[in-house]
Parts: sequence; structure tokens; C-alpha cells
Amino acid sequence: MSVERQNVTACIIDDDDIFIYGFKKFIEIRGVFAEILHFSNGQEAIDYLKNPFYADNLPDIIFVDINMPVMDGWEFTRKFEEIKSRMGKKICVYAISSSVDINDINRAKNNPVIEDYILKPISETYIADIINSCQISPGFSNMN
Amino acid sequence: MSFFEGHNFFGESTAHLARLINNINTGIWEYNTTTKKAKWSDGFYAILGYQPGEIECSYHNFFENILYYHDKQTFLKATHYAGTGPVPIAQIRLLTKKHGYQWFESSALKHDDDDGQFIYGVLNNINKYKLAEFTAAKTDFLSAETGRMARIGGWEIDVASMSLNLSREIYNIYELYGDIKLTLDEARSFFEPAYRPMLTKAIEDAIKYCKPYDLEVLFKTAKNNIIWVRVKGIPIIDDFGKCITIRGVFQDIDVIKRNGISMQSSINLLDDQNKRLQNFAYIVSHNLRSHAGNLKFMVNLFEETKAENDKEEIFSHIKTISESLSATMGHLDEIVKIQSEISKERKSVSFETIFNNVIATLRANIKASNAQINANFSEVPEISYIPAYLESIFQNLLTNAIKYKHPDREPVINCYTKTDEKHIYLVFEDNGMGIDMKRFGDQLFGMYRTFHQNKDAKGIGLFITRNQVEALGGNIAVDSTVNIGTKFTVRLV
Repeated sequence: MSVERQNVTACIIDDDDIFIYGFKKFIEIRGVFAEILHFSNGQEAIDYLKNPFYADNLPDIIFVDINMPVMDGWEFTRKFEEIKSRMGKKICVYAISSSVDINDINRAKNNPVIEDYILKPISETYIADIINSCQISPGFSNMN
Repeated sequence: MSFFEGHNFFGESTAHLARLINNINTGIWEYNTTTKKAKWSDGFYAILGYQPGEIECSYHNFFENILYYHDKQTFLKATHYAGTGPVPIAQIRLLTKKHGYQWFESSALKHDDDDGQFIYGVLNNINKYKLAEFTAAKTDFLSAETGRMARIGGWEIDVASMSLNLSREIYNIYELYGDIKLTLDEARSFFEPAYRPMLTKAIEDAIKYCKPYDLEVLFKTAKNNIIWVRVKGIPIIDDFGKCITIRGVFQDIDVIKRNGISMQSSINLLDDQNKRLQNFAYIVSHNLRSHAGNLKFMVNLFEETKAENDKEEIFSHIKTISESLSATMGHLDEIVKIQSEISKERKSVSFETIFNNVIATLRANIKASNAQINANFSEVPEISYIPAYLESIFQNLLTNAIKYKHPDREPVINCYTKTDEKHIYLVFEDNGMGIDMKRFGDQLFGMYRTFHQNKDAKGIGLFITRNQVEALGGNIAVDSTVNIGTKFTVRLV
């Protein structure tokens, strides 16, 4: 039986170019066959998600930085909540930040849109776990 | 037989009158100034504590031994009263048998007769009342002194007539001296206008709902001194539960209140500083962590990557991180410097000179953006300030105005000083892209907060500016409209 490989599409929203580069490279090296979308602030991501032209290429997971210009992570989650129901698929949102500010951490915990708050520097295995756990196709276990 | 028959004693027998005179609890005496003979009633002896006849009945004995020497003048004056009108009453001290000197009331009447010139007199013991009076006077004095020291007085409003009664000390607090009586409206007009409605409502509520009140309000005395006072009122109710009187105290609490206010502002200042320090700690941690995190990330990738051109790219990122780390350390140094420079001496500096220095260093930027900068420091040409701070404030605000110019027009920047007697302000107005105050207003001065998609934005300038201004006790206000421009008003001192 031929199994069609279903890739997980991850989306990273961060204004830090080096982090994005590293994130993509890491996915590539680890062979987690995920497609990566990236945006340098919340506004760009919302524009993309709302655009019907991209409706077939929506991410499964969003990693969003907190501190960004134009539209920060908090405002992104508010905007995302408004359009979530129109997405036609479940999208998990993770906050990813270097901030150890307890206010930020609590705010993320109390935000129903955010699945978890991931502190930078990121744990590579944890990211891999998240991406893998989203891969629910039958062929998943055969993948390496 | 009634005493009152014929409304006088003319019909009485002598024996009856004598019985009357001797039995009442009052001393009655008679003195014949011609024969120098004195007569004392039984009551006279009795009120002094003696049996009739126990002591010598003579004017001499009375005047020299019984009457307190200090009261002789008083007694003589009242006894030999020559004027018309009611007989004066003297209050004198007499020596009693067992209780020492006691207070008596004496009245006397002269009467000329065929047998000579007589003086009749009556003595009553008033010791109890007199002592009560002294105690009351002492209490009054004490309470007046207490009121004076505590700067507190009592007042009453009679609800039926809405008339007001204020104690002496309240008039002292009003700085109204002399014979003045204020009406309720007049008394209220001394309160600062902003507090009058509050006071009116408190009085209304006390009358209507029997609600007590306790207010701290600003008050202007008759000599135009503005002070804090405390007004406390308690409704007094009748048997039917209706408020008939409001009774209360009025106290000058100016010193306490002003201490409290300055204490509160110190607390707020400390609180702000604390918050800033904590914020600063978070920021430092955030920035170092993000660089450190990236560095670790890149080093791991570098080790795992096999492709040579990937390695090159990763290494270039490592170089960038290293530069960013140095830059961050530089920012930290600058911020630490703000605190260390605060102790440096303030100097009288000319706004014009500082402005020209900054313009010179920014010449390239100004030229490239074609900015028009209008400066006018005529209202306040000089200020006592730390020169390095002022230069940094100019530099950051000018750089910002140029950096965030509107894409469709050349920047016009107005920069001027102004004063309102108490403070000196430095104002920067630009016609740049503006900033959405609703979205970003609270983060504007945060470290590494950037709002526009601008590659030069580092989010450090305004953070440093605010810290410098606040370190010297000033503040910064911002007003901005997207696509119109931004106005920074810096209160320097």
C-alpha cells in the first residue's frame, strides 16, 4: 500500500533573522519534513492567513515571538482568535520568547490561544516532538 | 396666715419676722454705722458653721477675722454702694469653722432711720457653684488650649434654621479675628471651589439620610493661605430619628497632609524606580538570552552541518551575533552611566550651543533627509543641567524625528523651549509618520521596543532619553497622530 507523506507545515513569526535561519536549518538537518513559512511580524502572518489565495497552504503549527515591531505576539493571538474559526483546520499556536518576565509567562499561560510558552534558547528535541506529534498521517511511523 | 397676704410683710408680727429671719438658711446682718453695733441672724452663725453666739458678733470680728483679706475691697465697694439701681452683689470668701475659707455671695442695703444709719445685708454660701465654675473654667481653658494646639474646633448646624455655630478655634483657623459670625454659606465659601459640591452633598446626605461624613479638603483662609482641613460631621437625631443637628469638628491638618502627600510621592518615585530596575533586569536578561541562545543554536548547527557553504553562512551569523552582543553591552554601559553621571554637577548650559553641537554631528543625516529644523530657545535660553544629558536628549529626539519621517514629505522639525514659572520644558514637534498611541503608547519608552518596520530601529534611544530626564526629576509627555506627526514635551526641571 502506498503511503502519501503528509508534511507538517510550521510557521515561524519572529523579527530575528538569525533565529529564523537557525530554525529552518535545524528542521532541515534533523530531517523533520516540515515546510516552514516565516514572517517577521504578526501583521504579515495575519495578512497571509486571511488571504484566501493561501487557503490550501495553511500551517499546522505557529511559533510566534512576543516582542516584535508593528504587531507583537500578543496582538497576533488576539487577531488570530478572531479568524481562527475560518481556517478550516486546527492550528496550534506556541509562544516563543527570550523573556523571563513572569508577567509575560503568566500572560501566555492565561491566553487560551497559546498552547505553551517556549523559552529561548529553544530545546531542539521539544520542537521536534511538537512537530512530530502534529503528524497524524498513517505513514508517520515509517518516517525517519 | 399666708406670707403673701397683701403681697408684703407689713401685716406680720415682729416675732414672726424674727422666726423667719433666724430659720432660713441665709445669713442676715444689720450694722448701725452710728453706734457701730452689729446684729447677726442665727442663720449667719449657721452658714459659717457656728452655734448662735459662739463667736463675737461685731463688725470688727467679721472684717478682720472672718472676711478674707483679699476680698475686703470687694466687700466694701458693694456694701457702701452709693449709686442708684440694683444693689451690687459681691462674691467674697469667709472663714468657716470647719471648712476653711468658702465662697459667699453678699448683698447689702443702706437705710437711714431716726435711730441712725443702718446697713442690712444678706450672705449666701455659693461655694459649690463657685468651685463648679472654676472647674468648668479650667476645663474650658484646657479644651481651648487643646483645640489651639491641635488646631481643631467644634461646630454645629441647626437643621431647622440652617444656622451655623463655630467655636473660637475654627475662627482662628479661618484667620478671622474679632467679632464675626459666619453663616453656613459664608463658611462654605472659604473652601476651595472644587471641594464645595462635595461638602454640600455631605451636609445634604447628613440631613436626609443621617449619614456621617469625614472629609479632607482644601481650604483658603481669610488671609489667602491655602491649607488642608479635615471636616467631620455627625448627625444628631431626635426621637423620631430625624436629623436635627449636625455636630462636628474642623481641623487644620495641613502639615500632616502635606507630609503625607510628599511621603506618597516619594513612595511613588521609589515604586517607579523599582519597576524600572526590574524592567531593566528583564530586558538585560531578555537580550543576553536571545543572543546567547542564537549563538548556541548557530554553534550546534555549525557542528552538524556538512556543506561548506552552509558553514560559511552560519559563521557569518555567529559574527553578527558577536557584534550584537557587543552592541547590547554598549547599551547596558550607557544605561549604567546614566545613574553614575547623575551625581555630576549641573552646569548652566545654553540650549543654542548644545543644539548646534548636535546639529553638527547629525549633519549627514539631516542633509540626506532634507530636514528643515526650526529652533527657538528665546523663551528659556539657558538651563542648569548635566550637559551630556541635554546633548543626548537633543540627539535622540532629533534622530528619531528624522528616522521616522513621513515617507511622502520632507521632515519639518520645530524645537523650542518654554516655561510656566515652575518648570522648564523642551518641545520637539515633527511632521513624521507618527505613532499609534493607543496601541503603543505605554511601550514607547521601553527598551528594545520598536514599532515601525525600520531596519535602523534599535529601541534604545527613547529608553535612554526617558531615563536621563527622569534621573534629574523631569518627565516626558508624548502626543502623536499617525500620518500627522509627533510632539515630545520634555519637562527638564
